[in-house]
Amino acid sequence: MYVYICFMLIQHSLNTSITQETKQQEVIINSTFMKHRINAENLAQLYKTAAERFGPLPAFAIRESALKWRPVSYSDLFEQGLNLATGLISLGVKARDHVGLFGDNRFEWILSDYGVQLCGAADVPRGRDVTDAELVYIINHAGIEVTFVETAQLQDRIISLKQELPALREIILLDPKATASSGVHKLEDVLEMGAMMRLDGDRQAEERIAGIKPDDLFTLIYTSGTTGQPKGVMLTHTNMTSQTINLPGFHNCNDRVLSVLPIWHIFERVIEMYTISFGGCTYYSSVQTLGEDMKNVEPTFMASAPRLWEKLHERIIRGVKASHPVRQILFHIAYFLSQQYKSSEYFFTDKYLKMNPQPWWKRAALMPFHAVRWLLVLPWYGFFNAAVLERIRLGAGGSLQATISGGGALPIHIDRFFNNVGIPVLEGYGMTETSPVISVRSLNNLVVGTVGPPVCDTEIKIVDPDTGDLLYPNASLPDKGRSQRGEIWVKGPQVMKGYYKNEELTRQTIADGWLKTGDLGVITHNDCLKILGRCKATIVLSSGENVEPEPIEMRLQQSQFIDQCMIVGQDQKFIGALIVPVLVEFQKSGIQAKTVEDLARNPEAMRVMRNEIRRMTSAANGFKSYEQIRDFRLLTSTFEVGNELTNLYKIKRHVIETKYPHVIGELFSNGMAKQQ
Amino acid sequence: MEFNTQLLYAHDQILLAVMIFVIMLGMGASLTPDDFRAVIRKPRGVLIGFVSQFGIMPFLAFGLSIVLGLHPAFAIALILIGSLPGGTTSNMFTYFSRGSVALSISMTTASTLLALLMMPVILQVYTGIFTDQLTANMQATGAESTFVIPTGNIISSLILVLLPVAMGMILRRKSPEWAKTAEDTAGFVGILVILYLLLTAFTRHGKLFLQTPVEVYIGAVGIGLAGFLLGYWFSRLFGMYPIFQRAISLETGIQNGPVAFAVILLSFTEPVQSQMLWLAILYSTFIVISSSVITLYYRKKGRFDWDIYKNTQIHNRLFGKDYVTHYPEGFLPPRLVNDPSQGTIPVQKRNQ
Repeated sequence: MYVYICFMLIQHSLNTSITQETKQQEVIINSTFMKHRINAENLAQLYKTAAERFGPLPAFAIRESALKWRPVSYSDLFEQGLNLATGLISLGVKARDHVGLFGDNRFEWILSDYGVQLCGAADVPRGRDVTDAELVYIINHAGIEVTFVETAQLQDRIISLKQELPALREIILLDPKATASSGVHKLEDVLEMGAMMRLDGDRQAEERIAGIKPDDLFTLIYTSGTTGQPKGVMLTHTNMTSQTINLPGFHNCNDRVLSVLPIWHIFERVIEMYTISFGGCTYYSSVQTLGEDMKNVEPTFMASAPRLWEKLHERIIRGVKASHPVRQILFHIAYFLSQQYKSSEYFFTDKYLKMNPQPWWKRAALMPFHAVRWLLVLPWYGFFNAAVLERIRLGAGGSLQATISGGGALPIHIDRFFNNVGIPVLEGYGMTETSPVISVRSLNNLVVGTVGPPVCDTEIKIVDPDTGDLLYPNASLPDKGRSQRGEIWVKGPQVMKGYYKNEELTRQTIADGWLKTGDLGVITHNDCLKILGRCKATIVLSSGENVEPEPIEMRLQQSQFIDQCMIVGQDQKFIGALIVPVLVEFQKSGIQAKTVEDLARNPEAMRVMRNEIRRMTSAANGFKSYEQIRDFRLLTSTFEVGNELTNLYKIKRHVIETKYPHVIGELFSNGMAKQQ
Repeated sequence: MEFNTQLLYAHDQILLAVMIFVIMLGMGASLTPDDFRAVIRKPRGVLIGFVSQFGIMPFLAFGLSIVLGLHPAFAIALILIGSLPGGTTSNMFTYFSRGSVALSISMTTASTLLALLMMPVILQVYTGIFTDQLTANMQATGAESTFVIPTGNIISSLILVLLPVAMGMILRRKSPEWAKTAEDTAGFVGILVILYLLLTAFTRHGKLFLQTPVEVYIGAVGIGLAGFLLGYWFSRLFGMYPIFQRAISLETGIQNGPVAFAVILLSFTEPVQSQMLWLAILYSTFIVISSSVITLYYRKKGRFDWDIYKNTQIHNRLFGKDYVTHYPEGFLPPRLVNDPSQGTIPVQKRNQ
């Protein structure tokens, strides 16, 4: 007799009760909480309505020390924003102008954004790490006349580049502690100027707000180009407001959102706009103080990149390992139980990674097994969840209802870990060009291993990248084309207007409203999207660096020892190479090897190969540090036309990736050790 | 119904004694002198809880015994259970039901001390008719003696139970690390032993479950449920804020089972001892289930007011204690806006 069933039920309800609610219930919850979620036409309107509705509630909190934060209320922020907008207008900013905004996370950043939106202009944001070449390109390409700079250092850099920036007229310095050079305005002066004008009855800002059209840009974001110059992504007010309305989730003005991502990144911006739409408070934290801030702020919601979850995971595991042996055992028992419990729960709710269709009889046959396991585990899971896992959750503040991961692929073991300890991680998928969310898991649709179903009003197509055939939704294919792999195309209100002053590229990217993402994906049998990789060659490292593999591969293939090769490293810390060696060349140089396997076991041969790679991709040859190959593996069979190669002898990367997943996995699992 | 077999063998009794020791030690390890000071600083919630624990609960137990027509031994056990102090289990349930853990701890602390005085008094007041019945039964079978409640023994066994609590508090002072481990172990041991007792009852006295009259089950389950219900509404009557209502409700319904075992084992003898123990075991079993269900319910129901409580608390922590959180008009239900006990957020109350 299981006395503890109820006990477990509690625990269960703790984190999963929401998952278990039906769609209908979600609608009910939404309607009660949604009362206070703003549905605005443009961002200026959103800011205005937020000030009216949430007035004295804190909109942003700025950290001064661990237990001392400065709140800024919605009404204050809006008022200051109006002053700034008026100041900007008097500096000559016209409606639909592009205003530069160079800097990182700080309150003055969001205030500047308020000012820019409220005077009907669009901002062009970039972080402090922008290079001089990018600065010149962006300012000239976007036609920026007025710009904000965060620090004195940035200000000096721009002034020294002034010769190359003919159109730039005004610079406004954000940091209140920095000293402004001559000709540079301080933010507080512009604010004061605006405040005086408004006192005198200036209402130009209100006219500007009324004049904003849904199709106007709110921002022009330059993404680091994979080849050549940065591209300016034009995002409209509708793009962003559709996101604040369509994102799943039921938050209200009691929510505390901890912010750590770079503020100018579209992922962080959408979260901040979303937070404003329900009246929550955004607490600006930083990577260095995150652990402490999580405990003090007890966030209910937060968004971050995979790297942060990896770090948090490391820290938790380190904490467990440092604890008393009895506690370690308890943790492992708790984790094991949770795993068993959740996997049965996912089975019942049909929320597991369903890559293949499951016939009803198979499901019926498995049902008793899961039911028995679920019942057996339930009481113990409940107890351990309360006694052990709750402690782990308290390490993250204890109030997290959900977290969002985006901006890169979340490693599956990290994903499972957090969901099993009861911190629901909702992985999302998107890109700057889609402002950014295309799909995201919700608490009701938490399928680990996928990026959830597309958000409201958004359509997804899967298209064969080589032939252009429609794979999903395609009625002539089994299951309408689910489990067919191909390129993801997106259509919806969040799709950008285009690339600024680059119609050619815009036409290549968007056709008939469908945006080609360049990512490979598949629709699972429970209608979630799973990302498989890139179909474009570009490799994005976990550090965010873009690596073009082709030049490196071409360079490597010039070596006498290398027949064919492919560079890998998507979402990894460094790049590696898969190499088809020229056996004869090694034999010529006196190495005894009959097969490639022999070669791989021969330390001398490996040393030769390593030196060869190092020589070919050295900095002297023009390769950047992140383009250095840290490790490699030899492949035994050559790439063949029709299999790994196209008719034009181009590598089919996704084919090779699916053929050698274990080789690639092993390369990166122990690659760190060899990194010297 | 009479028990013709002994419910517990000697080794079971030793096991039970060890469990009581471990649990009470763990309870002590979770208490600090600050908890006692907190009771004196904010006596209101504790006072309401006190009335609800030592006033309402024993009366409920008495009423249930009469209405259900329980056998006198069961009736005495039920009243004994009704007059028990709160245990640490209620603190944990309160935590998960989004109630005020601070109040729950204060109530546990206060009631554990006051039980020394209150339990004997309550037993004297309510058990009169049942002891008379017992005496009548015994004399009917030819015995000369009369049944009396062993008040002296009860007090001394209570003192005996409080010893490990004191030891736990000392342990906490000396080594917080060990205290934490003791606290964790206690929860686990409690569960294991109750499971063991049930299992042995099943295997050795399987028929017992069938023999036990249904009204005994109703009494064992009902006393907890009625405690939750009355605790909740009684504190509402005094305008307590919902997080305190949940704490008082759970504290009233969940009693300190191990104390019941100790008192029964140390102070009562056969023929009533086994029956009383049986009821205590049934109560301990069912209370875990019913409080889990209640906690689940409270957790859902209390989500909104807890979020508000938490948010204002964190605002005061980060923005200074004078910061006042103003919610938009119509966001807070009237009950939360006008709650006279907004004292949860004392400064805010002052400013409004």
